[in-house]
Amino acid sequence: MFIEDVFAGAVRYGSSVIFATQGEVISERAGVINLGVEGSMLCGALAAFATASATGNAVLGIIAGTAAGALLASLHAFLVLWRGANQLASGLAISFLGLGLTAALGVNFVSKQITGLGAIEIPVLSDIPIIGKGLFAQDALTYLALVLPFILVFVLSRTKWGLILRATGERPEVVRAYGYDPRRVRAVAVTIGGALAGLGGSQLVLAYTLNWVENVTLGRGFVAVALVIFGAWKPVQAALGGLVFGAALSLQLQLQARGVDVSIWLLQMTPYVLTLLVLTVTSRRQSQQIPEGLKAVFGGSPS
Amino acid sequence: MTATTPAAPSAAPLVQLAKKHAGWFGPLVCVVVILSVIPFLGISVPDVLIRSCPLLLTALAVAIPARTGLVNVGGEGQFVLGACGAAVFATAVSESTPSPVAIVVIAIGGIVFGGLWAGLSALLKVVAGVNETISTLLLNYVATLIVAYAVTGPLKDPEAANFPIGSPLPDRARLPMIGDVHIGVIVALLLTFAVAWLLNSTRWGFKARAAGGNPIAALRGGLPVAALIVGALLLGGALAGLAGALEVMGPDGRLRQGLGVGFGFLGFLASWLAMHRPGWIVAAVVLIASISVGGDSLQIDLGLPATSVYVVTATVLLVVLGWRGTRSGEHH
Amino acid sequence: MKITRPARSAAAFSAAAIALSASLAACGSDDASEADAGGAKKATIGVLYVGPHTDFGYNQAAYEGIQELKKSMPDVEVLEAENVPETAEASRVMEKMIKDGATVIIPTSYGHYQPALEVAAKHPEVNFLHQGGPEAVKPNLGTYFGQIYEAQYLTGIAAGLSTKTNKLGYVVAFPIPQTLLNINAFELGAKSVNPAVKTTVVFTANWCDPAKQTEAAKSLLDQGADVLSQHQDCTKTIVETTERAGAMSVGYHADASKLAPKGWLTGSVWNWGPLYTKMVEAALSKDFASSPYAGVYRVGIEDPTIAIAPFGASVSDETKAKVEETEKAMRAGELKAFTGPIKDQSGKVVIPAGESPDAAALESTDYLVEGVVGNIPKS
Repeated sequence: MFIEDVFAGAVRYGSSVIFATQGEVISERAGVINLGVEGSMLCGALAAFATASATGNAVLGIIAGTAAGALLASLHAFLVLWRGANQLASGLAISFLGLGLTAALGVNFVSKQITGLGAIEIPVLSDIPIIGKGLFAQDALTYLALVLPFILVFVLSRTKWGLILRATGERPEVVRAYGYDPRRVRAVAVTIGGALAGLGGSQLVLAYTLNWVENVTLGRGFVAVALVIFGAWKPVQAALGGLVFGAALSLQLQLQARGVDVSIWLLQMTPYVLTLLVLTVTSRRQSQQIPEGLKAVFGGSPS
Repeated sequence: MTATTPAAPSAAPLVQLAKKHAGWFGPLVCVVVILSVIPFLGISVPDVLIRSCPLLLTALAVAIPARTGLVNVGGEGQFVLGACGAAVFATAVSESTPSPVAIVVIAIGGIVFGGLWAGLSALLKVVAGVNETISTLLLNYVATLIVAYAVTGPLKDPEAANFPIGSPLPDRARLPMIGDVHIGVIVALLLTFAVAWLLNSTRWGFKARAAGGNPIAALRGGLPVAALIVGALLLGGALAGLAGALEVMGPDGRLRQGLGVGFGFLGFLASWLAMHRPGWIVAAVVLIASISVGGDSLQIDLGLPATSVYVVTATVLLVVLGWRGTRSGEHH
Repeated sequence: MKITRPARSAAAFSAAAIALSASLAACGSDDASEADAGGAKKATIGVLYVGPHTDFGYNQAAYEGIQELKKSMPDVEVLEAENVPETAEASRVMEKMIKDGATVIIPTSYGHYQPALEVAAKHPEVNFLHQGGPEAVKPNLGTYFGQIYEAQYLTGIAAGLSTKTNKLGYVVAFPIPQTLLNINAFELGAKSVNPAVKTTVVFTANWCDPAKQTEAAKSLLDQGADVLSQHQDCTKTIVETTERAGAMSVGYHADASKLAPKGWLTGSVWNWGPLYTKMVEAALSKDFASSPYAGVYRVGIEDPTIAIAPFGASVSDETKAKVEETEKAMRAGELKAFTGPIKDQSGKVVIPAGESPDAAALESTDYLVEGVVGNIPKS
C-alpha cells in the first residue's frame, strides 16, 4: 500500500519534469545547454491552458504548448548559434522572459476551469501490486513520458539522426565532413528540447493541476537541467532522476500523513545531493561523459 | 606604464590619471544619464540604489571567478546561504553589543557562509575534478532548501507562531541610513573599486587572469592554479554571501523564504553584460535595478503582476547578448 | 577617447530600456489621471493582496469585501495591488500608494506585517489596518482577524454526517495556530456527530502551489478520505481534484461551490465587506487611535463576518438542520467549538472538562486533537 502510493505519487508528480529532462538531454548531447527550459515549460503551460480554456479541447492545448516551448527555445538557438551569445546567459535571460511573459499574459486565466486530460486506467495491468497504479493508471501524456526515454535511447544509439546528433555534440568536424551543418543540427536539437519542455509544461497544467497560476512550474525547468547531469546525459537515467524528484515529495507526504516526522526540505535535497555525490566519486570518468561540445561552456580551466 | 614626454607641467599627471582610469568614464556617464532620467519616469533613485547593492555584489561574485576562467552560476545559493549565515551570527549579538560591532559580526556571518558555500564547489573541483558550473548550479537548489529548512525549523522566529520566518534582527543590527539609502550601497560601491584594483593592479589579479586566459600555460609556468581557483571562488562566494547579509540587515530585517530570489541570476547576467569588468558592472547593475524598480508600479498602475517586468529586463539583456556576438556564431 | 563596442551597446540599450519603461510609466499615469478626473474623491485608500483576487480563497474573500466597501463608500478611491510578495517589496507598494494620496492602507496578508510596521513608523499621518497581524504596537496600525475556526466546527459537522468512509482529509501549509485551530475544530465538529471519524492532515509547506496541492489531495484520496478541506490561499485546485475523484469538498475562505457541483458540502467563508467599511470609516476619521480597530481586533462567530457557505445539492436535510441548529447556538454564544474535555493526539487532556478558553488563549495552540492523524512537522 505504502510503497504503491509513494511510487504512484512519484510518477504523477515527476512526469512533467521527465519531459523536460528528455528535451534537455537532446539539446545538451548536441552541444548546447539551455537554461531556458524553465521559460519553455512556463510558456508551454500557459499556451496549453489558455488554448484548452478557449477551445475546450485539451489536444489543441497540447499542440499549442509544445509549439510555444519550441518557439521560445528557438530564440535561444538563434542567439547562441548565430549570434554567439553565451549559452548560460542566454538561457537564463530566456527563462526570465518566459516567467515575465506568462505572468503578464496569464492573469486572466487564473480562475478558469478546463476539461483536461483524464486518467486512462489500463485494466488488469493497473492491478499489479506496487507498480500497477503508478505505471498503468495515469494520463496519456504520462504514459508518453514513461516510454519516451526508451524511445530516445533507441533513436540516439540506433538511428542515423541519433548518430548525427551525438556526433554534433562530440565531433562536429566529422559531421561537417559528412555534409551536415552542425549549427543546424544544434538548432533543431535545441528547438526539439524546447518542444519537449513545453510538452512537460502542458502535461503539468492539462493533466495534473488543471490550474494556472503565475510561475506554476516553480523551478522544474532548472531541476531538469540538474537531473540531466544526475543522469550523466543518458535519457533513461535522467528520467529516473525525475522520478527521484517526484518521490521526494510523494514520500514526504505519505510518511507525514502516517505520523512519521520527516523534513520536507531535507527530502527534497535528495536528487541534488545524490548527483553531487555521484559526481564526486566518479568524476574522472564523469568528466569524460560530458559531451565534448559542452566542455567549452562549462569553463576552460583544467580540473 | 609608458613614459610620457612632459607637456605642460601641471597637466601631465592629471592626463595620466585620467588615462589610467579611463575605463570608468564610460560607465560613469551611463550611470549619471540613467539616474538623471529615471526620476522623470517616476522611478525613485534611492530605491534603485538600494536594489543595486545586492546586484553589484552578486555580479562581482561572478566576475572574479570569470576572470580566473571559472563559471560561477551559484550566486543564488551563495546569496541565500549568506543571508542564513547572517541570521545565525545574529543570534550571537546580544543586548549590549554596540551597533557597528553587531553589523560587522553579522556581515562576517554572511561572508563566511557564502564563501564556504562557493568554497565547497572549489574543493570539489580541485580535489575531485567536479566541474564548477555544475556544482555551483546544483548547490543553488540545496542552499534554497537549507534556508527553507532553517526558517521552518532552527531559525524560526519563536514569536511568529510557527509562521515560516526568521527572527527579526534587533534595530541595532539594522544598517544605518544615509538619507533614504542604507550604507550597504556605499559598501558595495567601495567593494567594486576594491575588486577592480584587485583584478587589475595586484599580483594576485595578474596571476588569476593569466590562469583564466591560458590555463595550460599557467600550469606550465608554475602558477598555483588550484590555489587561485579556490581563492577566486571563495572571494566570489564571500561577496554574494555579504550581499545576502546586507539584504537581511537592510531592507528586509529578517531571514525569510524567497529572500533575494533572482538576485544571483540577475548578477550573473549583469556581469556577462559588462564582460566581467567592474566599471561596466556598475552601469549594468544600475540599468537592471532601474528596470526592476520601475516594475514595482506595474501592479498598481496597470494591474500586471510585478514579475512582468522581467519581460523588459530579459528583452534588454537578450538584445545586447545578440547584438554583441561574434557573427561567425562560434559559441564561447 | 575610443568608445568601445560594449559601451555603445550599453548606451543604446539603456536608451531603449528607458524608452520602454517611459511608455509603460506613461500608460500608467494616464490611467491614474483619468481616474482622478472622473469625479473628485474625498479620500484614497490602498489595499494589498498577496495573491490574485481570483483564487477562490483568501484573496478573493478580501477582494469581495473591498468591492462591497467600494459600493458603500462611493466617494473613496481605492487603489489595489495584487500579488504583492511578503518582502520589502510590500513596503515599496505601500509607499507608492501613500505617494498617490492614500491615507489608509490595508495590507491583507500576515507577511505584510513587518513591512507595514516600517512604513507606519515613517508615516504617522497614515492609518494601517493589517489583516491577521500579531499585535498593534503603533498608534497608527491596528490588526484585525476572525475566529473562523468556529465556522470550521460547523463544516466539520456537515463532513462528519456526510462521510461514508469516516476518513476526512485536510491539506494545509504550515502548523500555525490558525491552521491547527481549523483542523482541530473540524475534527471536533465531525466527531460530535460521528465519533468514529478521523481527519488526516498533510502539510505542503506552501500557501498556493497547485502541483503540491494536487499531490497532497491525491495522497489523501488514495488513503480513503472522502471529504477534503484545506487551509490554503488558493482553493480551486484541491476542490477540483476532489470533485474529479468523486469525493466531497469543504471549502475555506470563499464559496467555491461552482467548482464542485456534485461534491460541495459547505465551507467557512469570510464576509469582510461590512467590517471593512466600519474600519475604514474609523481610519479615515480623526478618532482612529481611540477606536477598537487601532488595536488587536478580533471577531468571533457572533459577528456576521464569520459565516458558512451555502450548502451543496448533495447535503441531506438532516445534515442541514443539524448544522443550522448548531450555528444558531454558536451565534447566540451558547456553544463554543473548544469546550473541554479535549485531549490531544497523545491522549493528554489539553482543555479540562467544562472549560472554554477564550480566543487569546487559543491563539497559542500548538497541538492537534485526538482523532487527527499526522504529525506537526518540526521543520
